[in-house]
Amino acid sequence: MDLAHVSNQQNSDSQSQISHLALDIGGSLIKLVYFSRNNDSGKDDDEQRSQNKSLDMSDCGTSQPVLEGRLHFAKFETSKINDCLEFIQRKKLRLGDFHDCTAPSSDKIFIKATGGGAYKFADLFKEKLGISLDKEDEMDCLVTGANFLLKAIHQEAFTYLDGQKEFVQIDPNDLYPYLLVNIGSGVSMIKVDGDGKFERVSGTSLGGGTFWGLGRLLTKCKNFDELLELSHQGNNRVVDMLVGDIYGGTDYAKIGLSATTIASSFGKAIADNKELEDYKSEDLSRSLLRMISNNIGQISYLNALRFGLKRIFFAGFFIRGHAYTMDTISVAVHFWSKGEAKAMFLRHEGFLGALGAFMSYEKHIPDGPMVHKILPRSPISVSSAGNKIYCSLNSDSNENDSIECNVYGT
Amino acid sequence: MDLLVHVSNQQNPEPEGQISHLALDIGGSLIKLVYLSGNNDSGRYDDEQRSQNESLDFSVTGTSQPVLKGRLHFTKFETSKINDCLEFISSKKLCLGGFHDSTAHSSDNIFIKATGGGAYKFADLFKEKLGISLEKEDEMDCLVTGANFLLKAVHQEAFTYLDGQKEFVQIDHNDLYPYLLVNIGSGVSMIKVDGEGKFERVSGTSLGGGSFWGLGRLLTKCKNFDELLELSHEGNNRVVDMLVGDIYGGTDYAKIGLSATTIASSFGKVISDNKELEDYKPEDISRSLLRMISNNIGQISYLNALRFGLKRILFAGFFIRGHAYTMDTISVAVHFWSKGEAKAMFLRHEGFLGALGAFMGYDKQSLMA
Repeated sequence: MDLAHVSNQQNSDSQSQISHLALDIGGSLIKLVYFSRNNDSGKDDDEQRSQNKSLDMSDCGTSQPVLEGRLHFAKFETSKINDCLEFIQRKKLRLGDFHDCTAPSSDKIFIKATGGGAYKFADLFKEKLGISLDKEDEMDCLVTGANFLLKAIHQEAFTYLDGQKEFVQIDPNDLYPYLLVNIGSGVSMIKVDGDGKFERVSGTSLGGGTFWGLGRLLTKCKNFDELLELSHQGNNRVVDMLVGDIYGGTDYAKIGLSATTIASSFGKAIADNKELEDYKSEDLSRSLLRMISNNIGQISYLNALRFGLKRIFFAGFFIRGHAYTMDTISVAVHFWSKGEAKAMFLRHEGFLGALGAFMSYEKHIPDGPMVHKILPRSPISVSSAGNKIYCSLNSDSNENDSIECNVYGT
Repeated sequence: MDLLVHVSNQQNPEPEGQISHLALDIGGSLIKLVYLSGNNDSGRYDDEQRSQNESLDFSVTGTSQPVLKGRLHFTKFETSKINDCLEFISSKKLCLGGFHDSTAHSSDNIFIKATGGGAYKFADLFKEKLGISLEKEDEMDCLVTGANFLLKAVHQEAFTYLDGQKEFVQIDHNDLYPYLLVNIGSGVSMIKVDGEGKFERVSGTSLGGGSFWGLGRLLTKCKNFDELLELSHEGNNRVVDMLVGDIYGGTDYAKIGLSATTIASSFGKVISDNKELEDYKPEDISRSLLRMISNNIGQISYLNALRFGLKRILFAGFFIRGHAYTMDTISVAVHFWSKGEAKAMFLRHEGFLGALGAFMGYDKQSLMA
């Protein structure tokens, strides 16, 4: 049947054969996670080729068929969803695994999708690609993705203080509870108490979309990365009103504010002898970044405090491994918590939702031949029951490294 | 100050005149003045001042009889236009006899109470231009003193604002503490007040009135704060903000309690439009900005009130200016985040807490001199 169909097909072209794909369609960005099998010729990875196996997956239960391959990550702007559709279309060749066997027609293809766009663009996917989006809850996926990354991936979480990046060894038995702060267009703050045990306790509308939107209006930057780049050179003191500006150069030591503490973001811009054009884009961008980052750090801390949580994990594509952003957030959390709480970041920061949606393929059909356990290969962590994931990370480290994985069918 | 102060909102139009006492709160953006003029003064009554910051009948009582009577007046200047303020003080300086420092050799040493950062920053300027010494009072101290004074002594000072309804709150003096005082100036200070002179600044945020004014100026070419506020009346924030419904295709995200009209990302819509700054209406930008800053302050205030078990949050400072939409947004934010537990309250003399507190710092001797 379908599985046999999948396993016997040899992909002859140079495209990767995707057998699983999951989407997180957010307000600003579409995040994709997809699994490509090892008989690809997309990458000249010797290790991959040597492990090329023919797979017998028509049998359920007796053997342990394994798909070996890689988890890949990609993203598109939501406003350019057609690019994403084209991408999926090109990769669509082997979406056989997605066939919904319970449907009368075997042509019905579905892929897991989360985020608001799973609802908003459901019709579009159906029309343009004939694909049904199988909707997964956004918060659920974020948490599932986070737990997966924290437990299964070596060197996923790290702190960033004083310019120093330090990986954090997470003890899987000491993972919970923690606060997950996902900074996308907006921000969600989720208290995570266990696998599948969580509550969205807070959020803020001053998020990545705010930085991008206000930044666009103030600087004419064409995109988010350009805005971030600019901020490197900026001097926020041109635009921000510091305590020292109000107090004539001194600290307000009595209440713990140094002269360089920002009293009012953009407070200097009230001066009526300058117009927008008179300000440097770098300075505006840096102030904006500082303002949003500080604010998120503060609200995150107040919520961590509220629930007695010592660890705050920051995720989402606002951060992008950007040093100044991580530094500002870390300093804010450190400042407000007087050193009590720790800000941590994730290497696959923006892909939590997509990963979580991807993981939900595991639970799809309980007794059909489609149950897949996703087991990334790893020399490192073997964990307790319930954790079916072993991963080793590709060492050609770009931002969103692909992850070598095994997918087991039962 | 061990004397009784009686204040009432008498509306007798009394002419202005001889100032006997004056106090300043020199902030990052605004200079706030409070001054006392005697009963036999003549002057004009400013209608705007009257509606916003009415002068108050003020009497100080000693053991058996009033020792001082007059009107407390309120006025403000932009800190960037400090010279206007100096001129104003100069023109009123006629009867600053009460300020003479009698312990000094020369009886020419005039001092006035001043708080805020400007009390330090502009000390030299006051000395040079007016020959006045600024006697510095701590800013937080003055804010709290001013707040406690207003809440206890002025009738109908505090009020709530929900669904467009303004409702004065009767504060029981024995049940005043503790409360959270949120002063929204250029920046924001959040102070836990536990009693007379008992307080702690527990938090703050740099997203304050200065941010609204500064960002607003950059984005709309408005000339001043009030113009920016005016504009926001006509604005539609949905043009600029990304709502939950925009992300979810029109529906709520009910599972986590967010309706389709909840703002998911302030200014988030701008990223995908093929529009430039000039293509946006200043009203819409102003409204989004106001909403963003107000919501944020409401949220952080609430999180701090929660942290210390405080049910009442008093909002002060010149960000609010009795502006309906601002008060409504803050009230709704506090209500939303606290699930109705906490109450947002506003003060009629919102921006003058610091100056009033500094004013209260004059002791009996100097008031009677």
